[in-house]
Amino acid sequence: MTKITNGKLSASFRDPSGFLFSQNGVLYRQINRAYAEDYARLMDSGLYAKLVKAGLLIPHVETDQPPAESEAAFKVIQPERIPFISYPYEWSFGQLQEAALATLSIQKRALKLGMILKDASAYNVQFVRGKATLMDTLSFEIYKAGEPWTAYKQFCQHFLAPLALMSHCDVRLNQLLKIYIDGVPLDLASSLLPFKTKFNFGLFTHIHLHANSQRKYSGKAVEPRTAGMNQNAMLGLIESLEKTIQGLTWQAGDTEWGAYYTATNYSDSAFEHKKQLIRAWVAEHKPALVWDLGGNTGVFSREAAASGAMTVSFDLDPAAVEQNYRLVKKDKEQTLLPLVLDLTNPSPALGWNHAERASLLQRGPADLALALAVIHHLAISNNVPLLQVAEFFASCAQWLIVEFVPKSDSQVQRLLASRKDIFPEYTQAGFEAAFQEKFKIYKTSAVQGSERRLYLMSALPK
Amino acid sequence: MHFSPSPYLDPGSGSLIIQIAIAVLLGLGVAFRSSWGKIKGWFGVKATKEDRGADDEDN
Repeated sequence: MTKITNGKLSASFRDPSGFLFSQNGVLYRQINRAYAEDYARLMDSGLYAKLVKAGLLIPHVETDQPPAESEAAFKVIQPERIPFISYPYEWSFGQLQEAALATLSIQKRALKLGMILKDASAYNVQFVRGKATLMDTLSFEIYKAGEPWTAYKQFCQHFLAPLALMSHCDVRLNQLLKIYIDGVPLDLASSLLPFKTKFNFGLFTHIHLHANSQRKYSGKAVEPRTAGMNQNAMLGLIESLEKTIQGLTWQAGDTEWGAYYTATNYSDSAFEHKKQLIRAWVAEHKPALVWDLGGNTGVFSREAAASGAMTVSFDLDPAAVEQNYRLVKKDKEQTLLPLVLDLTNPSPALGWNHAERASLLQRGPADLALALAVIHHLAISNNVPLLQVAEFFASCAQWLIVEFVPKSDSQVQRLLASRKDIFPEYTQAGFEAAFQEKFKIYKTSAVQGSERRLYLMSALPK
Repeated sequence: MHFSPSPYLDPGSGSLIIQIAIAVLLGLGVAFRSSWGKIKGWFGVKATKEDRGADDEDN
C-alpha cells in the first residue's frame, strides 16, 4: 500500500473517524476526537472483547505513539498486523459468503450492545487465522433506536449482489468488483440475474425492488418516514439478509483443474518425492510469507504452511480455490489463504489515484515463492519469454522453488497439441540460462519417477 | 421522525426508503416471534431457538 504525507496510508481517507498510518514499519490507527464517544462505547460495552474473542474483530492495543495529525487526534491504537491483505475480487464464492455472514453476525452482536455498523465494506474484512475478520476498529457507532442502517446499500452492493450473481449466473462475475470500487451497482445486478430470482423473497426485495427504488428516487432529497423502524425491524432486516445469503450456493463443478491430480502423469512416488523436496527446502529458509503461484487445491502449499509460514495459495480456477478454502475450514488451518489470481494478469492497483487497493507486487515481496507445474502455462500457453517469467518471479520473492516441465511431459504435449511449436528455447538448458540472468541456482533435483526437475534459487540483487 | 445520517456514507434516498419498508414488514415478524416465545413461557414451554432468533450470537 502506498503512503502519502505523515505516513498516512493512501487507502485510508474516506472515514473522518480516523485513519491508518505507518511509522518505522509499524502500522497504527489514529482515532479522531470526533469518534471518541463511539470508541468509548465499543470498548466499555464489552462489544470489543466479545468480537475479538469470537475472532470477528482484529485485536489492538492503545499506544503512546504520537498521532500523525495531532489537531484532530484522540488516541492512537496499534492493530494486530495482518500478514497478507486480500481483496474480495480474489476470494472464492465461499470466502465472500463467509465475509458477508461475519459482517451480519457482527451487526447482530453490536445491536445487542447498543451499537451498529456504520459501514459494511467488503474491503474491511480480511482473512486472519483462517477466519473472516473485521479489520476496521472504527466501523461502529452508537445505535439510535428508530434510525435506519446507513450501510444497507453498501452491504447489498459489496456482498449480496456479487454473491447472487456468482450463485445464479456465473462464479466469475465477482470480477465485477474490480471495475466497481464500491460494489456491484444494484441495477446491473438486477438486470443480469435470471427472472426466477424474483421469486426469492430476499433477492426480490434486497436487489430487484431495491434497484427500482434507487432508480425512482435517484438524486431526490427525501425525508423518509422512519415510523416503525425500531430494533425489531432492524433485526428483521439483518436476519433476512442473513437468510438470503445462506440460501445462495455454488457447487464447484468439473472445471479444467477439478480433476487435475488424477489426470496428470505423476506416479505416487513422484508426487511424494516432490512433497519431500519442497518441505525440506522450505524448512531450510524458514520464510515468514510464502506465495504459491498456481497452487491448485493447495497440496504443495500445505507443505510450505507446515513449516509455520503464512502461505498464500493463488490459482486461476475458482473451483480449485473453493475446494482449497473448504479444506482450510474443515481442518481449521490458520496459515493458509487460498485466493483466485490470474498470473498472466495479476490484480492491479485500483481506486482513487491508483492507490486504494494494492497490486499483487505492491503486497510483496514474499520471502519465498513456489512455482510448480506452472512454467509451461506461462511460457507456452501465454507466450511469455522465459527471461520475462524469471523477471516476474524475481519481483515476487527472494527465494524461489520452481519446477521445470520438459516438452516431453504429457501436460506440455497437451498444450502443444492444438498449436504450432514456436518455442525452440523451451528446453532445460534454455530454462536454466534464462533464469540464471535473474537468479542464482542453489539446488536442483530431478523429481523421481517423472521427467520434471525442481530448482531452489535466490534472486540476484537488482 | 427526523433521521440524521452518519457523517460519511451516503445511504442513498431510494435505498433508505426500500430498507425501511422491508424492515418494518419483517420487524412485525420478529415482534410476533418474541411475543409468542413469551406466551409459551407463561405456560411453561421453553422458548425454542426460533423464538430467540435464527442463532444465538452469544455462543
